[in-house]
Amino acid sequence: MGDSLFQLPDELLFTTLSQTFPCRDAQIRAVATLLHPLAAPCQNLVIHGTEATGKSAIIATLLQALQDDTEKDQPLLRYVIINSIECITARHLYESTIAKVAEALQWQGAATRCDSVSQMVVELSKMLKYPSYPDNFRFVLVFDGIDRPREAPITLLPALARLSEIIPRITSVFIATSPPASFLRTSFVPCIEFPNYTKNEFVTILNTTSLPTAPLPTTTIQETTELWNRFTGAVHDALARAASRTLPSLQHACTSLWPRFTAPILAGTHAPREFSKLMVAARVHFQDESLLDPGIVAIQSYSSSSTTTQAQAKDNTAALPSAPPSQANTPRKVQSTTTTPSKPKSTANPFVSATTTDLSTLLPPTARLLLLASYLASHNPTRHDLVLFSTFHHGRRKRRGGLSVGMGRGGHRGAQSKHRKIARKLLGAHAFVLERMLAIFTAVRGEWDPKWLDKDVSNREMDADIEMAIATLASLRLLIRVGGAAAGGVAGDQMDRGGKWRCNVGWEVVRGLGRSMGVEVEEWLVE
Amino acid sequence: MAESHDDNPALFEDDDNRAVYIFAPAGHGGSPQQEKARPVKRRKFTSKRASSSSAAAAAEVVREGEAEMERAQTTTAAAAAFPPLFGGKESVEAAALRRQVFDTAWPVLDGRIKNVLREANRTTLEDVSSFIRDAEGDTTRGTRIPAGFIITGPNIASQDLLFEQLSEALGKATQARFVRLRAAGVPNLKAALKKVIRDATAQVSSDGGGGGDGDEDAKVTFGRDGRKYLDYDLEGLHAFLSSQQDPLKRVIVAFEDSEAFESSLLTDLLALFHSWQGRIQFSVLFGIATSVELFQARLLKSTARQLFGAKFDVVQADLVLDNVFKSAIAGTQATLRLGPALLRNLLDRQRDQVAGIRVFISSIKYAYMCHFYANPLSVLLADEKSLTRQLLQPEHLQAVRTLDSFKAHVEAAVDARQLNHAQSLVEDDGYLVKQMVEQRQKKQDYLMQLLRSLHLLTSMDLVPSRFTDLYVSALAGGLDLTPTIDAIKRLGADDVPALINRLLAAIQTGNPDLDLPGWEDEAEDLISSLTEIRDEIEALAEQAREKGQQSLKSKFTAQSKILRTTVVAQKVQLSQDTAKLTEEDKAFGKTIDSLVDLLTHHIYSEPIDSLFLHQAWAYDAEAPYRDVFVPRPGTTFERALTRPHGYLGCECCSKTTGTLSATLPTTCILYQLYLETGSLVNVADLWSAYYALVGEDSDVGLGEREALVRFYRGLAELRLMGFVKQSRKKADHVAKVKWLL
Repeated sequence: MGDSLFQLPDELLFTTLSQTFPCRDAQIRAVATLLHPLAAPCQNLVIHGTEATGKSAIIATLLQALQDDTEKDQPLLRYVIINSIECITARHLYESTIAKVAEALQWQGAATRCDSVSQMVVELSKMLKYPSYPDNFRFVLVFDGIDRPREAPITLLPALARLSEIIPRITSVFIATSPPASFLRTSFVPCIEFPNYTKNEFVTILNTTSLPTAPLPTTTIQETTELWNRFTGAVHDALARAASRTLPSLQHACTSLWPRFTAPILAGTHAPREFSKLMVAARVHFQDESLLDPGIVAIQSYSSSSTTTQAQAKDNTAALPSAPPSQANTPRKVQSTTTTPSKPKSTANPFVSATTTDLSTLLPPTARLLLLASYLASHNPTRHDLVLFSTFHHGRRKRRGGLSVGMGRGGHRGAQSKHRKIARKLLGAHAFVLERMLAIFTAVRGEWDPKWLDKDVSNREMDADIEMAIATLASLRLLIRVGGAAAGGVAGDQMDRGGKWRCNVGWEVVRGLGRSMGVEVEEWLVE
Repeated sequence: MAESHDDNPALFEDDDNRAVYIFAPAGHGGSPQQEKARPVKRRKFTSKRASSSSAAAAAEVVREGEAEMERAQTTTAAAAAFPPLFGGKESVEAAALRRQVFDTAWPVLDGRIKNVLREANRTTLEDVSSFIRDAEGDTTRGTRIPAGFIITGPNIASQDLLFEQLSEALGKATQARFVRLRAAGVPNLKAALKKVIRDATAQVSSDGGGGGDGDEDAKVTFGRDGRKYLDYDLEGLHAFLSSQQDPLKRVIVAFEDSEAFESSLLTDLLALFHSWQGRIQFSVLFGIATSVELFQARLLKSTARQLFGAKFDVVQADLVLDNVFKSAIAGTQATLRLGPALLRNLLDRQRDQVAGIRVFISSIKYAYMCHFYANPLSVLLADEKSLTRQLLQPEHLQAVRTLDSFKAHVEAAVDARQLNHAQSLVEDDGYLVKQMVEQRQKKQDYLMQLLRSLHLLTSMDLVPSRFTDLYVSALAGGLDLTPTIDAIKRLGADDVPALINRLLAAIQTGNPDLDLPGWEDEAEDLISSLTEIRDEIEALAEQAREKGQQSLKSKFTAQSKILRTTVVAQKVQLSQDTAKLTEEDKAFGKTIDSLVDLLTHHIYSEPIDSLFLHQAWAYDAEAPYRDVFVPRPGTTFERALTRPHGYLGCECCSKTTGTLSATLPTTCILYQLYLETGSLVNVADLWSAYYALVGEDSDVGLGEREALVRFYRGLAELRLMGFVKQSRKKADHVAKVKWLL
């Protein structure tokens, strides 16, 4: 009560915070001023900045610190943080807000059902507006990631921004990536930006957070620290400036490059002070794309013996260059530089051989044929079907060669070829009717599958195996049903011959598939 | 019509076992007891069947087999024997015995197959569970979600067992709650979360779960404080896990067919799991049919960064197939031998089509069922005790005498001048029975010989060919040793003793996969001859070395003729020269010859159909298998629509095969007309053509109103079967949809 009208939070609080979150002093002070109940509490506050700039973490820690700081005999500040990503529906958001507020205030008997914003306002008013609280009491509602709500009505944000008009004790904090102008539809909302770190800040942070704890052998801790310092700067210049702009990705790049960078020191060829020589030696590693896009497989081959696993997992990125060539996310460039490409660690399972990413080894022949047929159906116009696949007039069907030659020499090149400049295979796949694809399938099958011709005629029609293959391809999303159930007419069954489909694999894959069966798909494509 | 079907359960029971279903709507009074006895699932068939008369009739052939199989499965417990064969003359005992033989034969195999399958996944299971356990303490993981990518191959449907095992093993190894998600079951985020929460909470106790099934946002109570949670709120799961005093709070979510999930759904779910990571220890498993790279290409980069993945390979389907084949088809435990044609078909299908190992196993089972169900001679497979002389009826002997193999046997006896033997076989029943009993031992000998030969052949490891192929070709046309012998002849002096050692070891240990014990006692002379040859070759090699010769050459390996070029007076002369073989080399060549002789003497096999009475214990019919497992609905529809009398059993249109006749059912007439049309069908034209056929001037003489009703119904049925559909191109036209069968 006796306190002065304006009082900044304790300086000690800032010191501890800026130790945990280096290089964010200005933001911390600004936010603290705007949230502290005795300083300049505001009604709404927008915190924005790109990812991994410390928005959520700083707000959470700061609020906890402020709450502890102002806690004397009476509570002056309470807060809740609602993570919008965790809220599936708007109702979920309302209900978890109310539940969390009730928990923070230790309020008994809060409503469990809340369908709309107005109901939430009523509930919040019950808890925050009418009961008596000490003077200057503030309640902070933090909505984290509020720019990406699921199934939220468009009025949600303006409504939340007006909460404090109805309940003056409330401060709403909105954390967003980049708020559009006046997205809260209200004026005078202070915005605090958390900008991305600069190079110096990055280096400082990396020095404090992820400095290698153990010094390198044959060097002192002093030398290691210095080397790390210069190393992080170099990594920043090489990678962060252009591509990986966030702190975690830079951190990841540094930690995974470090073992490779210091390998010459361990080998004894370079001293830790010869930074430029080390840089030259490690230049190839800086070109490794996996630093920027680590991919989803962190452990290349997993063996059940846990000791090797641990070691492997620790320097998994160091092991990357020696990974087998079949793993596609291993960068090609690095492989040429490795001196001794060691064999991948043999797994405990003797049956497992190197897996290939090639579809042609994964799919059985029938499925492959169907996929090729559907690619043809997707990429050839219907009017050319007769020319390509008919065996009626000629013993052999005319292929692309005959067609294009005829068109090229003939006087009527056709207006169509003039205005279509883009090769058809570069255009997206067109939808086709299932019956047409099956007709193409039966036509090309005789040509491509020698076994098919040996079969006796009664066995040559559509059987359940083919339908099973179609269903499998559909479940693998290699074939896609277009138009949904409505297009089917009757019930939209997958086997409906009138249904429309589209081939979902690209040219490269199809060419590979075709070659695996001895077919040049290009010959069967018109144009 | 539907009622008449429902009232006739007895009719169905009979019809299920016929080749075609004869539509006979005449009212048989069904009894309520039978109604009750019918398994529940059959009702579904009934209602489907009644839904449209001719469509159902046409589809009947397809369903027949399934129905039969299902029946056999559902009523295994029933003590009832198979229906008597020989036109009903077979004794009940014999039929019961066939049933009994089947009931004892199949479970043995089933157990072995299950064992093989379980064993195949063992390494994967161990790897996955240790990964999940280790990932928690892994410092490089950060806040990323541990994700196991299990490369299962395109047969996601057959990986059910794997995920079942994973759920068991991981639940035990990591004290985690295991949730299995399939794309079809979880169309959206809410449904997925509901399932995760329901399954994770229901596994320990049932006080939580049981939320509403619909889209209604039901509330569930977890934990002690009685707070209610939305049933898709992970907060609820968290509260539940806390109340269970579960310190680890591990939940493993397995996406069985991850390719089939919408990318956006996966992204949402993973983002959610990631955001809960500190509080609930989520791990995810993905069953991947194609490849991790393709899967990653479908994920957002920001989602990919939230995963800490490791790749696991499931044992390749080929190897599993080989193992199942060895234990269930080739192994000594198999009562029934599947013939080469059927096996080739089954194996081809496994290789060419998207057919999982499950299909293979059910095909074997179906072959067993068919054999014991339909072959009266299968009773001969019963053991000595139950197969008494009284059981064999005159019909059995008659059946034996009509067999091809009997005929061949008798003719062979005649050719060999064993006229008495041949005559007694044909005339003397007692003698025939004795021969039949003797034949059992011969069958055993044949199989032993076959398996031992194959085992020796594969353990020589000279020719790269798969066991399955060897077995099938051995059954079909005997063993072909030529490539092996060629390979043996090309062997050097060092390799032959190693080869002989491998053979000796093979004889000693037998093959556990085939359930083949070692046969040292029976093969004493083979063993001694092999050892002799080995010693001889080693001695020869020693001799050669003493004489300073590099290595032994045989006449097969050494280049016998060498082309020499000599330059004489600036002319090149070519001359052929025979390389000289030393004494040791010649001796070595002889030894190899004797080894080849020995092996050809011991490794041999005859084709299976050269054996007398092989029909009793070998099954080689493809047609039933294809009808059941590879049905051709198109052909079936076509057949039913062109020749409906086959199903209807009526007199009137039996002569009209493939031609129009007014007495045909409306749909069939329309189908005939439909075949003659182009891609767009004018309905008015169709109607006038139809009316001209059945109208008042024709033999049937239908009135216009009735004809129109029938016409509409027929057209609707065609549409239902997917032959035509509404066209937007032209008014009053329908589009022809089906061109292929």
